[in-house]
Amino acid sequence: MPGAAERGSELSEQIEAFVSRLRGGGQRPRSEDTARQTLSLLRKIIAHGRWGWAGELMDLIRTEGRRMTAAQPSETTVGNMVRRVLKVIREEYGRLHGRSEESDQQDSLHKLLTSGGLSEDFSTPYPSLRANVIEAINELLIELEGTTDNIAMQALEHIHSNEVIMTIGYSRTVEAFLKEAARKRKFQVIVAECAPFCQGHEMAVRLSKENIETTVMSDAAIFAVMSRVNKVIIGTKTILANGALIAVSGTHTLALAAKHHSTPLIVCAPMFKLSPQFPNEEDSFHKFVSPQEVLPFTE
Amino acid sequence: MSTDDLIETFRAQLRDDPDVASAVAAIRALLGFLRQDRGETIQGLRSSLRDAIDTLSRVDSSVAVNSGGELFLRFISLTSLEYSDYSKCKEIMIERGEIFLRKVSLSRNKIAKLCHPFIRDGARILTHAYSRVVLRVLEAAVESKKRFSVYVTESQPDQAGQVFINLQKMAKALRKLNIPVTVILDAAVGYIMEKVDLVLVGAEGVVESGGIINKIGTNQIAVCAKAQNKPFYVVAESFKFVRLFPLNQQDVPDKFKYKADTLKTSQNLTEEHPWIDYTSPSLITLLFTDLGVLTPSAVSDELIKLYL
Repeated sequence: MPGAAERGSELSEQIEAFVSRLRGGGQRPRSEDTARQTLSLLRKIIAHGRWGWAGELMDLIRTEGRRMTAAQPSETTVGNMVRRVLKVIREEYGRLHGRSEESDQQDSLHKLLTSGGLSEDFSTPYPSLRANVIEAINELLIELEGTTDNIAMQALEHIHSNEVIMTIGYSRTVEAFLKEAARKRKFQVIVAECAPFCQGHEMAVRLSKENIETTVMSDAAIFAVMSRVNKVIIGTKTILANGALIAVSGTHTLALAAKHHSTPLIVCAPMFKLSPQFPNEEDSFHKFVSPQEVLPFTE
Repeated sequence: MSTDDLIETFRAQLRDDPDVASAVAAIRALLGFLRQDRGETIQGLRSSLRDAIDTLSRVDSSVAVNSGGELFLRFISLTSLEYSDYSKCKEIMIERGEIFLRKVSLSRNKIAKLCHPFIRDGARILTHAYSRVVLRVLEAAVESKKRFSVYVTESQPDQAGQVFINLQKMAKALRKLNIPVTVILDAAVGYIMEKVDLVLVGAEGVVESGGIINKIGTNQIAVCAKAQNKPFYVVAESFKFVRLFPLNQQDVPDKFKYKADTLKTSQNLTEEHPWIDYTSPSLITLLFTDLGVLTPSAVSDELIKLYL
């Protein structure tokens, strides 16, 4: 059927384009955009891909997911979204299969003792599974839209008048958080510039447009200024399974300085940044960029 | 089934399969006991099982046998809640018991799969005494083409460390795969800790607070590891979770600290050397179990889910 074959090749083209964009990424892409693109791509795979039952679909998603994560291992949002989609498929299958809603999906000692079978077989085909899964993914996409606003809504409880807040680099979530608080409260913000790309400057410009008193300082001054800071609020790239953060270079310094002065450190991050991985493969997490931008070759 | 038969079945299990965990052997023996039990009520069954578990603890007083027994009792209670007809209940129990044993035999492989990515290439590992789960993890790491070296403590008073490296199959296989193994004195742990990248130990029991009960000397190693900022990993199967909450070393019941024969024959227990100690959860970085990678605080969640 020419239609299906066309769609199939178009799909693989799109996947290729996404993978090469991930691999190439010189500019740091927005995590939310990456998450949304991953979900749309997965939705297309589910809608147009050739699969008969849940087990096949999960294998298909896993293969594509592995390819996408291999392109850029430091972009953990891709992997997180793939895992979410797999969970959605398992849940929808479970619902259709007739298992009760409250059944614990996770392993536990209790489940070990009371379950009847050895392992879950996803082989029964259900025609309505495709539609259900696509609907669930649409819900996920809608959830994605609202994350920054949901986080910003809590700003007033955490920021009080005349406080000095410190942040580092440029995080859109923290920007929205601070802007929301600035509507009702008056406070100061100190931004660490985060050399060599100095994203902190952009953050400072945006904050001062909202009439928030902002100061920019160099990364070296973080410890020196920390004694005057009430709270530290930062964004992050990933939150790992043991609660650790993978964030922009300089965050560790900020955290150590805050710990030394017993200053509370608040992290604002949307749910697609939560990753079930542990910080073990150090080399696959760091992202290295060409030194061209700091010291041009011509000099 | 008489007590002697039960003890004989238990001992036979341990003899025939030296790799089996003592808790699993205990559960197998109890399952056999269940099959031959001729009682007619759940209450009767429970009380005869309690007696059976006591008998087994008199043979092998380790924490693992105790936790295996408790788990089996819990298993009986959960199953009996679902079915009121005793004979049907018994059939289901035996069937589920078999499934449980089969699942549990896969647990070591699950743990090895979870744990070996944490061993980096070129790592130097410190381990304590003899643990079959640790051996399995190291085997898996070798299979994934990692190079690492291992320090083992001598582990007095029974020199289990020596047994560890002289054990026929495992050590020879490890040596064949070119893993350098060094035996160190128990007293040399503080000395060697700066060279070590991570500490990996097994556990005889995992207590409710997330701490572990293991061969004497484990607590020392954990304290040294914390002082030098080295990660302290514990590998344990989920049937070792036990409902104890010791607050300090003295809180661990005497029946676990000493071997079964010592308990029977000794005049003054305070003059005997204890065989196990308690390591508090603040010293442990992560626990690898067949339920996943857990932080010490997640262990109490798991126990609550089962027992309450």
